[in-house]
Amino acid sequence: MSTFALKSFTGLRQSPTDQITFVSHVPSSLSRSQRRTSLRVTASRASPKLANRSLRVAVIGGGPAGGAAAETLAQGGIETILIERKMDNCKPCGGAIPLCMVGEFNLPLDIIDRRVTKMKMISPSNIAVDIGRTLKEHEYIGMVRREVLDQYLRERAEKSGATVINGLFLKMDLPEEWDSPYVLHYTEYDGKTGATGQKKTMEVDAVIGADGANSRVAKSIGAGDYDYAIAFQERIRIPDDKMTYYEDLAEMYVGDDVSPDFYGWVFPKCDHVAVGTGTVTHKGDIKKFQLATRNRAKDKILGGKIIRVEAHPIPEHPRPRRLSKRVALVGDAAGYVTKCSGEGIYFAAKSGRMCAEAIVEGSQNGKKMIDESDLRKYLEKWDKTYLPTYRVLDVLQKVFYRSNPAREAFVEMCGDEYVQKMTFDSYLYKRVAPGSPLEDLKLAVNTIGSVFRANALRREIEKLNV
Amino acid sequence: MALLFSPPIFIPKISLSLLSKNRFSLLSATRANSSDTGITSPATATNVDVNEPPASTPVVKKEEVEEMKTTENFTKFEDARWVNGTWDLKQFGKDGKTDWDDVIVSEAKRRKWLEVNPETTSNDEPVVFDTSIIPWWAWMKRYHLPEAELLNGRAAMIGFFMAYFVDSLTGVGLVDQMGNFFCKTLLFVAVAGVLFIRKNEDVDKLKKLFDETTLYDKQWQAAWKDGEEDSSSSLGSKK
Repeated sequence: MSTFALKSFTGLRQSPTDQITFVSHVPSSLSRSQRRTSLRVTASRASPKLANRSLRVAVIGGGPAGGAAAETLAQGGIETILIERKMDNCKPCGGAIPLCMVGEFNLPLDIIDRRVTKMKMISPSNIAVDIGRTLKEHEYIGMVRREVLDQYLRERAEKSGATVINGLFLKMDLPEEWDSPYVLHYTEYDGKTGATGQKKTMEVDAVIGADGANSRVAKSIGAGDYDYAIAFQERIRIPDDKMTYYEDLAEMYVGDDVSPDFYGWVFPKCDHVAVGTGTVTHKGDIKKFQLATRNRAKDKILGGKIIRVEAHPIPEHPRPRRLSKRVALVGDAAGYVTKCSGEGIYFAAKSGRMCAEAIVEGSQNGKKMIDESDLRKYLEKWDKTYLPTYRVLDVLQKVFYRSNPAREAFVEMCGDEYVQKMTFDSYLYKRVAPGSPLEDLKLAVNTIGSVFRANALRREIEKLNV
Repeated sequence: MALLFSPPIFIPKISLSLLSKNRFSLLSATRANSSDTGITSPATATNVDVNEPPASTPVVKKEEVEEMKTTENFTKFEDARWVNGTWDLKQFGKDGKTDWDDVIVSEAKRRKWLEVNPETTSNDEPVVFDTSIIPWWAWMKRYHLPEAELLNGRAAMIGFFMAYFVDSLTGVGLVDQMGNFFCKTLLFVAVAGVLFIRKNEDVDKLKKLFDETTLYDKQWQAAWKDGEEDSSSSLGSKK
């Protein structure tokens, strides 16, 4: 397996002739770090121009990831097909989107049902801390209805030139030769409810798997499994006077009773609240945790009627393989949900867009065939941009969701203005902002103090048990 | 004070068993309190999209609507000195100064009570107690100093005997030991050992902690590894 310098590879890519020559191309990541195990170097032909047609890419799944990917692909001049199994899918979801998503994806403001500007964090011993004092006038967390957002993004993709098909992806035949197409098997629904649909096949050059946590595309390419949390949520319609309390306020409850490794929440939606909780390690006890969450919020949701019960898996970390040849995973299918807060909508849409951009660039607006190295560029860019964010949230979850004393310390810390400012800055704009060193030092000291006090109280509690 | 806390021995048991037996009675409690009895179209409302079987609770509820009320009588945490969601420091006076030890113990008792009987939060009586009102030296005196004494004692004993032992084996006196690199390493290991390993279980805990800190990174780097590695195996953390 000899490796040639990168120079010859790029030179070949830009050659206008249709000459096909063998080169061993070095995936760009190899040069970056020798400390990682080296990737297998595969010989591949120079990507030839596609004669008489544009690149055909199928996007499986029409959620935020699929919609964003399809739109970017279509705008880049690529023949795009979006396959979605349920056009009016009302997904069980917190529905919170950060401010930057509204700007980056040009979302119309009427998609946002509510602007949450206040949050309450409630510790196991019911100490409540108000968060949001540092938010400026124009800053908020947007609460959306998933069916509205997803539909909007799909419509935009369609307007840009993508074909949207209502169908269920079944399986995919992998190509035998390097330039054979992928054959997708799917069931197309022709709009009549209850009909079983017709089985169809389609040939495409590349596939973006945006079909969520139980991704079939991921299974087809052997992407591997991930740990997942179960999020369980009940939508409760509460009396109007109680609803005014939740006008622009969301609550987070932490505690062993509510969840051993996550949090319980009360999020306001358009005309009701969503009360839910989640867990990774104790999935069997989820109903007990839900009961406890409802108990903790009891006074504030008393008199409410449960209008819907829903649950869904949430990935905890990325799958071992996020792409394979010309198939890439994005969004929940890839496992791009952050720890600690469980945020996934923005990352799904952004990864869909990033992957599509890599395809557009690699194929030069649909004129050339792409290969795995083009998709690896998307992975590189993604990891470089967002890995720090994921790491920080992972550390936060590991440190502060461990035990009740840790959670008490966490809630105490959240009362600090500096913490609030940093947290909101990084959440709303997806930047791990540096902040000032002096304040960071003070924060470190305060964190140690809070953790120490909470643990001291726990020891005291243990002494009382004896 | 004792009177206030002796009932808990009985009440938690009752409420816990109520919790476990009538798991869903709280659900029915909230339902029964609403003006309409019964549940609004549970059949269409349940739409659980997950591997486990969907929640059949809404249907079961109808029969249990009658016997709610019981779980509502959770005894809330009450204490003469817990006023308006925080401890009233004036009531903790001792010789004209606040008895911080007492405050700490009372807060511990409150947290223990809540761990066993989780309570609802309420907008009328918000809890605003912040442990940082207790001064740092009160915490030091109560928790840090006794532990520091213990650990220093251990370190001193180990140090004395190790110094004697090394001296008897090698003839190198204490002053000369301190100049030797190997002995200095031993000293470092002994101090670290005393600090981090207090119980036998701590060795395993430290190892698991180390694995935990590196696991997430490994999961992310998996996409860059060679495809021959079995993807589904080792990168999932234990459930």
